[in-house]
Order: sequence, then structure tokens, then C-alpha cells
Amino acid sequence: MATEVLLPKLGFSMNEGTLTEWLAENGSPVVKGQPLFALESDKSTNEVESPASGVLTINVPPGGVYAVGTVLAMID
Amino acid sequence: MSDQSDAAPVTILQAINAALNDAMEFDEAIIVLGEDVADPEEGGVLGVTKGLSSRFGDDRVRSTPIAEQAIVGAAIGASLVGYKPVAEIMLMNFTTVAMDMIVNHAAKLRFMSGGQTNVPIVIRTMTGTGFGSGGQHSDYLEAWFAHTPGMKVVAPSNPMDAYGLMRAAIDDPDPVLYIENLPAYWIPGPPAEKGFTVPLGKALVAKEGADVTIVSYSRTLIEALGAVEQMDAAGVSAEIIDLRTISPWDKETVYASVAKTGRCLIVHEAVTAFGVGAEIAATLQSRFFGKLKAPVGRLGAPYAPVPFSKPLESAYAPDSRRIADAAIALATKEHSIDGN
Amino acid sequence: MTSEFAPDLPTQLEIYKRVALLKANDERSRKVIMTGRLVMPYYSYRGQEVIPAAMSAALSDQDYWVTIYRGIHDMLAKGMPLKDLWAEIAGRVDGTCKGKGGPMHLTYPAKGIMVTTGIVGSSMPIANGIAWGSQLSGNGRVTVATFGDGASNIGAFHESLNLASVWKLPVIFLCQNNLYGEHTTYEKATSAPRIADRAVAYNMPGVRVNGNDPVEMYAAAREAVERARAGNGPTLIEAMTFRFHGHVFGDADAYMDKAQKQAAMEADPVPIFRARLIAEGIASESELAAIEADIEAQLDEAVDFALASPFPDLGELTRDVYANGENA
Repeated sequence: MATEVLLPKLGFSMNEGTLTEWLAENGSPVVKGQPLFALESDKSTNEVESPASGVLTINVPPGGVYAVGTVLAMID
Repeated sequence: MSDQSDAAPVTILQAINAALNDAMEFDEAIIVLGEDVADPEEGGVLGVTKGLSSRFGDDRVRSTPIAEQAIVGAAIGASLVGYKPVAEIMLMNFTTVAMDMIVNHAAKLRFMSGGQTNVPIVIRTMTGTGFGSGGQHSDYLEAWFAHTPGMKVVAPSNPMDAYGLMRAAIDDPDPVLYIENLPAYWIPGPPAEKGFTVPLGKALVAKEGADVTIVSYSRTLIEALGAVEQMDAAGVSAEIIDLRTISPWDKETVYASVAKTGRCLIVHEAVTAFGVGAEIAATLQSRFFGKLKAPVGRLGAPYAPVPFSKPLESAYAPDSRRIADAAIALATKEHSIDGN
Repeated sequence: MTSEFAPDLPTQLEIYKRVALLKANDERSRKVIMTGRLVMPYYSYRGQEVIPAAMSAALSDQDYWVTIYRGIHDMLAKGMPLKDLWAEIAGRVDGTCKGKGGPMHLTYPAKGIMVTTGIVGSSMPIANGIAWGSQLSGNGRVTVATFGDGASNIGAFHESLNLASVWKLPVIFLCQNNLYGEHTTYEKATSAPRIADRAVAYNMPGVRVNGNDPVEMYAAAREAVERARAGNGPTLIEAMTFRFHGHVFGDADAYMDKAQKQAAMEADPVPIFRARLIAEGIASESELAAIEADIEAQLDEAVDFALASPFPDLGELTRDVYANGENA
């Protein structure tokens, strides 16, 4: 079953974050736990891991500001 | 409700004392705490809790340090494990020192625990103008607590209700703020029968009438009753409703009255602006829009702290004369759009 | 430190089991938050596990514990079930508070968790009240109030310690001193060189311990518990520790001294404790690994349960305001 890749909430007041960089390629196989994307909030920069293993289908381009909970990609 | 008017009258102060006495005799879970409440400290600054510690012991009746957060916190904690604390915050202005305990904790624990716990405390507190106590010892702050979901707020205006509301408040499973008016402590009236309770959320039609509904509570209810003579002389038949419970208030009784009279004046000692009257007025205009004969009136204190100087202080809270003037105006004047 | 209160070997192993659960739970929490499936402000207690693991080993189910927003370690150590906790922090109806309290208000009366507060310092006045109830009932129960170093400067701390001392309440004031009150260092905010010294002002015993040492922490806990149960009043325990993930998870922690943080993380008490158990023959590697694997499996179950649980229906918005569903 496909797994959604969501933009997490980090910190107390975060409502949105910038996906500064994808760390895996669209269409490539990814493994659960591997670094998937770089997330910048106004408080910190974080590397977010893949929640599942499978093929990555990216929904949004890097550099954009997205609300917490946005489905950034799918893993199937 | 039995008619005790042939029995010797008691004061509000005595009625509250009797209610505590009777309740504590009957239920060991009821405990009392506050500054100076025990008998070595004279049973309360005015003697409201006199005799309790001698009768029930100093485990159940404790004089505390001057520490309002500690007082309310202790009450909350004990209530979480099966006790029914009656905590005194000596003056209503000092509830501000315990606001976190009252607003963030007592009011909210039932909800935040998803119904697993509840806080069956009573917080007794006194207030009111008339003794020159000034800006920090006289405020009516009931609107803040009525505005806090989870709190109940009651205010008796006579000895029988003082007894009945206290008995009901103690047994209520939710936190109740019980407001005592300082000058009214010594007002006499028929005593309640032992065990008498006044259900929370139920108002009383203190006087029936046809021309204008006056809604009030606590000291200004007494003043409203004192305004009847002047209103009668002006040919205005006022129906006077004693809310008794400020929150949750008895909408049914008030609606029935306003449906009949078409005019309503809400009176309280608290500052008019942003007060309980505002909430009732908004509710009434929403329900009765188009059917009212006059805009809903509010009569309270001016937007100012309670002054010290006697003539200023006397002019601060609505008295019988000003209530009568306002009610008569409401009942007889043609009203312009701006309601004046 | 008196050896009469030191933990025996089975107790040390029991403490480790709790430590392992707390550590694994924190790691899992951060992991799930990073997947975006748990949306909440998370106050990580990683680094502070030993304190509640040791304290709870000196308590029974009937004793009470009042903790604060950085308190999930306290709650799990006290025995709150994982599933009820996870469903609550996920805001689901199967949570212990039907999703209506959230992580800062987790409540589980069956294990003595009558209330959890998000207000700094407010654990203490209410803990006093619970302790007063136990005193009146004569049931011998003890109440622990957790608070941080920052909270030792708020009015409620002072009022509470004073009242507990005057009334000789069966309460333990447990300060988890992690050297920071939000973003401010201990030194900048606190006038006393040691919080334990403030006990003198309130005429109660005060002790500072290494909260990251399970033997020292347990011994201090036991002594305080026995004092309270015997009717001899409160104790102030200042347990020294450190938090690895700042005030709230996701912050950059730029205000923290990097070297200090690094040193603390290198001195992580959990692997140190684990290694000592093996070195002293109290437990074998395989025994501990089995315990840890079981914890992971329990966490899998709890997380799956939580995320599969439904959200509360909108009717819950106005339920549990009053007892009988009345409205203002």
C-alpha cells in the first residue's frame, strides 16, 4: 500500500516549512530510514528520513514553502 | 421549599455558616480551608466559618498561609482524590492571584482528562462596595469566571438562597465560585430548613410584574427589590428575577419573563462594559429581535476602578433609586435607535 | 548517601527496564513526528530517563504522580499504558483523555496520574492537595510532584513547599534540573547555587543527587518515600540531569552551549547503565536485548493502534465541560 510523505510539524509554532532539497530522485527506489529531504523551518534545518521502502514519486518541487501536513510525495 | 417566614430570621452570614455546618455534619468528605477560617483565628475575618474547626477538628478545617495559589491548588488536588473542599479566597480581587489554578486547572480538568477526573470544589469569596476598601478589594469579577467553560458561578441575595446554594454548590460535581456580598452579610431573612437546596442554574422570580423585567443577582437584586416602591408609584410594574446562578443562567425563566414584558433591564454591581449584562443582553436581543418594546438595558458600574472617596464610592454601584429611574425610563419612554 | 536505601539487584534490573522503555519511546516519538504522522509540540525528555525510572521503582501503583509538559517519561514509568498514551498524543478518541487533553494533560487515574499540567510550577499546589487527601484518609499514599529548575523560581513553588512543610504533607518535590529553563540557563535565572538549598527556607530535608545515576537516584527516592509514608512530611529532591533535544523538539537550540550539550550526550546515562548491568553480571546481553526487542514490539503495536484509531466526533467539543452536559 502506498505511503504518504508528509511535511512534519517541528517545534511549537511551526505551521509551514521549506523543502529546501530532495535527497533522493523521483522514480528511484528508497529504503525506510534513508534521508529523503531537507526541511527548513524558521527555527531549524532538519534531514527527514523516508517513512517506508519503495519507489518514490515526488509531488512537489524543492524550494517551496509548504503547510504542515502537505503530501510531498508517495512511496509505493 | 418550605415557608419558614414564621421562624426567627437569620442573616446571610449565619445562613452560610449553617449550610457549612449541616453539610459537614452529614458528609465527612467536606473539608474547609482558607486564610483565618479556623476558630483560633476567629473562624473567618467576619465569622462565616465560626465554630467549624471546633466542631469538626483541625484536619477538616484548616487556616492556611496567605497563599492563594496554594489554597486553590490544595482544594483541587484533594477533590481529585475524593474530597469536597470548600476553599475561601478572602476577597474576590485575590482570585487573581489564583487565576492559574482556577482557570487553567479547576475549570478544565474534567474536559482535558476526557471525563476521567472532576473537580468538585467550592471557592467562597466576598466582595462589594460600601466599606471604602478601594480599588483592589471591591471588584465583582464574575464575568471572567462565567466566561470560563467548566466553572459555575453563583451569588445569593438572601439567607434562604445563601443556604440552599451553598448546599447545592458543595454537592455539585463541578467547580463552583460562590460570591458573597460584604455589606449584605448582615441582611436578615427567613431561614432555610436543614437540608434545603437551591438547584444550580435555576433563577427565582422574586417579584412578579408586567411592564419590565429586571434581571439581577447579589447586592443589586436587593437594591432592585428596594426600588419597587418608586416604580409602583410611577405606575411601572416590574418583574424582578434573581438569577441566583450567574453561569449557567436560567434562560427559560428569563425568556418567559421577557416574552411577557417585552422590556428588560439587567443590573449588576460589576462594571457594565463587557459584563454579565452584555452576555444576557446579546442573547435576549438575538432571541427577541423585533418583539422587544425597547432595547435591552444594562445598568452597572462605570468603566473605572472602585474609588475610595465616599461620595464617589456611593455613586459607583447601582442603587435602588438609579435602578428605579432606569426601569421607569425603559418602561415609559419612547426609544430612539441608539437606545437612549 | 545511606546504603540502607540502595536498590537491590532485581530492583536495578527493573529500573533498567523502565529506562529502556522511556528511551525507546522518546526515540519512536521523534521518529513518528518526523514522518508528519504525529503533529504536536513535543517536549523530549531524552537524557532524563533515569530519574522517573528510579523514582517509580520506589512507589506503588496507588501512589500519585503529578507531572508537567515534559513528563511523558514520568507517566510511562508510573505505568500509563503505551496504547492509551499514544492514542492520546495522536489526538484520537481511544486516547486516555479521548484526545481532548493531548500530551500536556495525559491523565490515568488507575496508576495515580490524576492530573498533568502545562503550566510551569502548577504541579506542586495540586500535588499538595492530593497529598492532603491521602493524609486525611490515612491511606499512606505518597504524591510526587515533578518540576524543572525553572519552576523553582515561580510563586507556586514557594507557596507549595511552605504549605507542605507546615502541614507535613506526604509529598515529594522532585526537581529535574536539566540546567535550562526554556532557553535560559540555570545561572541566569536562579538565585540559589543549588535548588536543594531552598529546602532550608521551608524547613524540610533537601538533597541534590545525580539524577542520571540509578543507584543514587533510587536511594534518594526511597528515603523520601519512606519519610512521607511514615507521616514525617515532604522532601525536596534536586536531581541533576540534562535534556538532549532542547526545550521543544524541532528547535535549533542555538542558545545552548554546544560543548556542554555534546559532553552530556556522550555521557548518556542509558548505555552506561546498560553496560554496568552486564559488567556486574546483573543481566546478560541477550536478556537485555530481549527486553529491548519486546519494547520495540510494544511500541509498534501502540503506534499502529494510535494511528488507526478514529478522531473524536464533534460532539466531544462540548462534552465533559460539566458533569451533565449542561451549557452556559
